[in-house]
Parts: sequence; structure tokens; C-alpha cells
Amino acid sequence: MKRTASTYLMSGIAAVIAVAAPFCMPINIATEILIYGIFALATYLLVSVAGLYSFGQAAFFGVGGYVAGYVFIHTDLPLWAGMVLAALGSGAVALLVGAMSIKRTGIYFMMLTFAFNQMIYYLAYSWHGVTGGEDGLGGIRRPDLAIPGVGTLDLSSHQNFYIFAAVLFVAIFAGLYQLMHSPLGLVLNAARQNARRTASLGYSVHRAQLIAFVVAGAASGVAGALFAMLYRIMPIDAISWTNSGTAVFMVIIGGMSSIFGPVIGAALFIWLQGFFSLIWARWPLLFGLFIILVVLFLKGGAIELFDRARRLLRPRAPHRSAP
Amino acid sequence: MTSLLAAQLLNGLAIGMIYALTAFGLSIIKGLLNVPNFAHGAFYALGAYVCYGALQSGVPFALALAIAFAVPALAGALVEKLGVARLMRGPYLYQLLFLFGTALVLEQLIIIIWGTMGLSAPAPEWLQGAFDLGFTYLPRYLVFNGAMAALTIAVVWLLIERTRLGSQIRAGIDKREMAQCLGIDVSRLVTAGFALGAGLAGLSGGLVLPLLGANATMGSEMLSIAFVVLVIGGLGSLYGALAAGVLVGVIQSVSSVFVPSASTVLIYVAMVLTLMVRPQGLFGER
Amino acid sequence: MNAATSLPASARAPAAAPAYAYEARNVTKKFGANVVIEDLSIGFEPDMLHSILGPNGAGKTTLFNLLTRDLPVSAGEILLQDERVTHLKPHQIARRGVGRSYQISSVYLELSFLENVWLAAYRAAHGTRVGWWRKAETYAALRETSSRLLHELGLGQYEHTPAAAVSYGDQRLLEIAVTLATRPRILLLDEPTAGLSQRETERVKAFINMIKPRYTIIMIEHKMNVVMEISDRIHVMNRGALIAAGTADEIGRNQAVHAAYFGL
Repeated sequence: MKRTASTYLMSGIAAVIAVAAPFCMPINIATEILIYGIFALATYLLVSVAGLYSFGQAAFFGVGGYVAGYVFIHTDLPLWAGMVLAALGSGAVALLVGAMSIKRTGIYFMMLTFAFNQMIYYLAYSWHGVTGGEDGLGGIRRPDLAIPGVGTLDLSSHQNFYIFAAVLFVAIFAGLYQLMHSPLGLVLNAARQNARRTASLGYSVHRAQLIAFVVAGAASGVAGALFAMLYRIMPIDAISWTNSGTAVFMVIIGGMSSIFGPVIGAALFIWLQGFFSLIWARWPLLFGLFIILVVLFLKGGAIELFDRARRLLRPRAPHRSAP
Repeated sequence: MTSLLAAQLLNGLAIGMIYALTAFGLSIIKGLLNVPNFAHGAFYALGAYVCYGALQSGVPFALALAIAFAVPALAGALVEKLGVARLMRGPYLYQLLFLFGTALVLEQLIIIIWGTMGLSAPAPEWLQGAFDLGFTYLPRYLVFNGAMAALTIAVVWLLIERTRLGSQIRAGIDKREMAQCLGIDVSRLVTAGFALGAGLAGLSGGLVLPLLGANATMGSEMLSIAFVVLVIGGLGSLYGALAAGVLVGVIQSVSSVFVPSASTVLIYVAMVLTLMVRPQGLFGER
Repeated sequence: MNAATSLPASARAPAAAPAYAYEARNVTKKFGANVVIEDLSIGFEPDMLHSILGPNGAGKTTLFNLLTRDLPVSAGEILLQDERVTHLKPHQIARRGVGRSYQISSVYLELSFLENVWLAAYRAAHGTRVGWWRKAETYAALRETSSRLLHELGLGQYEHTPAAAVSYGDQRLLEIAVTLATRPRILLLDEPTAGLSQRETERVKAFINMIKPRYTIIMIEHKMNVVMEISDRIHVMNRGALIAAGTADEIGRNQAVHAAYFGL
């Protein structure tokens, strides 16, 4: 088997990135990058590893955000309870959607995930009492983080919230990396290349894909919950189809061949969004144009750029076989 | 109550024809490209808005409808030629994102030109008024709407099933390489087919203008409804979309009498039920 | 009380071994109005190498797909070791000891030889459970077994080579290796030498001959020399029906077979 990089090493790199980021940019931007990084990592698992082109991930991001938001507004439950409920809620919705969508392949699957996303969007839109409808769910508090044995961390400070988000980010990064290189990850990879062959080996492809879908849904939900706490409001846009497209775009622009791709993609997207929105209120148009250009001219994403640069700079490694 | 129900039934049939026409266009594109057209809703909205613009400039209604077809058709041809065709060789994820980006751009362009407020245009005078059916009124425009949609579908059907161009399109859908070997210029066909599908969406948008008006979110709403219609009708069936579209329209309208705020959600419930009971759709094959 | 007499009859006598390892009974397959196979009954005795011959369009691959449940039957029954499996799914058939290779190479091109075989070996070793926590590369025993299998088949040097990087002939061998790694009892080989050169065909033929004693093999093959030299039993199909069955000699002399192939 290919010796893949140790999870400790990879998570270490992710941790270093997470530590360095706030020194390179405003801390709330860094937090948002981590949040979208988690969202993009979850989408990467589905799109790149499993070959499941889900265009409805925003639904789970949104469910997580609304659940956490609701819990932190209307109840006194502690932080961890809200987070767990958010993950469970989005995971459960992912289970329902996945159970109905995964049996259908390719195009059907894409259309179904999109349609379910819209359905959940409409539900959120019309369920004023719980979600705040068009105005979003506002007034979300950030409960203190209780660390047993050490004390409590007041998350209302930007720095502390960043640390909380960073820890979650590295943990989810490590977990997903380990999953991708587990037997389940290999089965997903194989099913992406040839689902029929994988089934003829005796694997239940649908079950493996459903598991991935639920894991991705739960992780997206955690990202949504963090998002809701970051801005203390859960906007209705976060659950709309444009956010789903954003997730897929982050995976592509970062590059689909490495787990760092989605993280880079998230960073690029947040910077772009910040940059574009300063220029023009109609920044989604610029974003749309950017998507078009990237897709037409830079298919491998940022990772491909790095690869090309690396190959130019480094001399070729010597071959193993005799000349 | 019955008169309200009957009126909503007629409304449902009318909007159902719109759904059918739009989904029919989507089905053609999906057949040719094997990729769901994520820009389809944007073409629909584009059709509605250019129709509005034409009407504002004093263009007669019939001509405005033709423009509602032509402009999105042209846009579709451009989008296909400049983008989708170039991405043919790679994984279709890129085509999807390209169409997605196109939808964003079109949607924003519409907002830039016409603003975010909803718009509406009255039906032309010769289509105003209603027939008195006794138990309810049947607005003239609904009749026109239905007839126009049905006529368009019939014409396209004739084109696809009875002409040489149509058989070439069908060949292109079924066996692309084989068609190429036979000397059929498949890429031109695909562009034509894409333009046709986009035009149908645009025409639907024009037709819906006096019915429901136009607004900034009509594109994405229609896109997901069109997907739902395809799922309910059955993906493999080109004409299943027609029956499913009408069905969806009727469900939405009739249910709005009883549960007004949930009538749109009911469409998705219908999709879920179809998936559970008959996953290949009403007219699809296993 | 004598314990033996209180047992039901079926428990006292040893169960008779099934006559057929794999069987299709009165099977019909239609695609819409097109009837590809009609009322076909065919049985494959265990511990033999069976070849299925027939002109193109005879329905051979369709029969395979019906046996492995890749296609549903329109009518009739499929029996695996006397068990009715007509309505099972492909992965369930695979778990009952049936290994299948495909006519068009279906190895995982992006994965290495070792990873290809490992996937099959993992499933054979772990049944329905798929681990999601431990990294795949830490399963040392499975790595060993997979590596050994590759070496046995003369493919050891490609352990870490992606399947896309080798010749088609080597890919076909990998395909058979992957099928073997699932530890099947019955092998279904769909045109294992399709698209291979003379020399590569000989290699595959020798290989199949070598593994013959360990399995029941059902093979679709077009190359006469391969079929005649290694088959224990040959079944000839034409237009969805079985027209002859027997040893190589018998088939060679059979008039109906001649007619089917040469239109006499």
C-alpha cells in the first residue's frame, strides 16, 4: 500500500496553518475561513473521494446553524450540548436525504440534492417562529466553553472563539483524513471509479456512500453552528442553493487531489468574497464570472498551480529502475 | 368553495403547462448533454424579463413572446458554444459548475438591469376578460396560455419525431459517437438542442409574466421545480415531464386552497413520495 | 430413548452435494420487446472448468449478468448451490462465494496493483464490516496475503504501480487476481483473453489452467484453442438458447454447432 502521510503530520500542518492565520489577517476573517474550511472538507469527502456530486450541502450547514442558534437563544444548554445537537440534527437530515438520493446515481443524485436543498430552504423560509424566516435567526449567544479541570473560556472574545473554532477545525480535519485512508475511504474511492465492480466484490456501495453522506452532513452542521455563533445570527442565505454551489466551488478551486485543497479553496473564496463585496454590491456576478473563468482555464485548481510551480523549481527526482 | 376550488384547478392547469414546457426544455438539454442544466431557471427568468422589457417598449404581445424565446435561445447557444462544449472532455463536474456560474451571472445581470422589485405586466387587451362557465370564471389568458404551451410542445414534438433534424437530435442523444461516425455534426446539434431548451424556458417565462409576474428569485424557484418535475415524470422519459409538470402545477394550486403557506413544500413532498413508491418516476423505466 | 431415531430424517442422512454449483432454470430475459434469452435451462457441475461458446449476440454475457444478478430476470430461477438467488443483489451473490471478472477491464486504474487486490482481500476477510477508523495500510496481514497472491501470479513487480500504467494484458491478469482475492468458490470469467496478443493469451491460459483444480470455473471465451485445450465441459449457445453441451471432442463433431458458427 502506498505509505500515506501520517495523520499526526497532516493534522500538525493544519494546526500550524490554524495558528498562523490570525497573524496574517483580521481574526474574524480567519475564523470564517476555518468555518468554511470545515464545510469544504465535508464537501471534498463527498465530491472528490466518493464521487458524489452533492449540490445541496448548504441544507446541512443551515440545519446545523439553525439548531445551534435555536438552542443558544431559547435554552440554557451548555456549549457542547448545542454543538452535539447541531451535528446530530444535520446528520439526521443528511440520513433522510441520503437514503432517498443515493440509490439514484449521477445526474439524478445531483438534481435530488439540489431539490432537497430547496425544499429545506422553503421550510426554513416559512417556519418563521423557529427560524425567523426571511430575516434569519438573530440574537444567538456564545455560551462559555467549560474545560473540565481548567476553567471556563469566555467565547465572546474574538480570540477565544477563534481558538475554539481552530480546535474543532483540526479535530475534524484529522478525523476526515483518517476516514479517507481507512478501508471505508478506499471503498468510496473504488466505488467512484467503478461502482459495479465494487459491488461485485461484495461491498454494499450504497451503505458506504450513505455513511459518507451522513458524516459530511454532520460536519457541515458543525460548520453551520460555528457560523451562527460567529455572526450571532443565522441568515436564510446560508441555507440556499448558492451556498451549496459555493461549497463545490471551494473544492474545485482549491484542487481536488489533496486534502489541503478544500482548505485553500475556502481561504480563496473568503478573500474573494471580501474583495468583490468591497467593489460592488452585485458581487455575486463577479463571483459567477470567476467560477466560469476558473472552470474554463484552471481545472486543477490552486493545487495544480502549486504542482506546476513545484515541478518547475525542483530538479527531477532520480528514477528507481536502472537506466 | 367549489368555485374557488375550480378556479384554482384552472390556475393549476395553467401553471402546470408552464412547468411542463420548462421541464420539457430541461429534458431535451439533459438528453443531449447528460448534464442537468443549472442555468435553466436563469433562462426562464431572462425570458420573463426581456418580455417585460419588450412590452414596456410598446412591442405587441405576440412579438414579445417571440423575443422571450429568442433571447434566451441565443444566450443558450452562446453558453453552450463558449463553455459547455469546451468542457465536454473533462469530468462533468466542470460543466455543472460552469452552468452554475452562468446562472449566477444571469441572475445578477437581471437584478442590475431591472432591480429587485417584482414586476408584472397585464395581459394584452385581446386576451383580457373571462368566460363565464357558471360555476367559475375562466380567464381568457389562461386559455391562451394553455393553448400556446400545448402548441409549442406539439411543434417541438413534430420537430423531434418527424423531421430529419429531429431524428439526428435523437441519434445525438442516444449514441453520440455513432452519430458522429455517420457524419452528423453532433456539436452543432447539441448547440441547437441547448438553444431550443433554453428558448422553451424563456418562452415559459414570457407566458408566465401576466400570470404571476416576474421577480428576482423566479429563476431558482423554477429550477428546482423543473428538477422535481423531471424526477416525478421519470428521467429517461422525454415526454413524462409534460404530464408531471401539469400534475405538479395542479397539486400546488389546489393545495393552496387548503394549506396556503405549504403549497410549494407539497411539491417536494410529492417528489419524496414518488421516490419512495416508484423511484423511476411515473413514466421512467427501471 | 435412542437419540438417533428421534431426529428428523433430513438431519440423519448427510446432505447430498448439489448436482450443479450454479444453475439457471427456464430463464427468460427481455429488454422491452427484444427477447435475448428464452426459457433457457443450463447447469454447471462443480469442480470443473465450463466454457460457454457461441456466436456474437448469443446471449452469453447476458446469461452471466443474470447469474451474478447484475440484471434482473424476466422469468425463471437462478440457483446457486441449490439455493434460490433469483432476487438477490450483486453484492449479495459476491458474498456467497461467486467471483466475477468482466469482459472490459474493470480494474481500478487509479489504484496500485496491491490496493486493487487488497480491496478484494479485505472484503473476503472482513465480511460485511468495513472499518472506518484504522488506516487501510495498517492491516499488515492483509497486505502480506495480497502481496503473496500478486507474486504467485507473476505480477509482483507491479505491486505499487497504478493499474493504468501497465499493458492491457497485465491488467487482465490483475483483474483475475482481484477476483481470486475475494476467495470465491466459483469463478465467472467473461472473455478473460479478449483483446490480448497471442503470447498474452497463452499466459492467461496457462494461469487459468494452474488455478483450475481449486475452483469451479465458468468461462465465456471466443478463442477456440483456449476453450478446447482447458475446458472440461463446453456449452454452446445460439440466439439465446442452449444448442449443445459436452466435452471438447463431442462439441467438435456436433452438427448443430457447425451450423450455428458457419451457417451450414
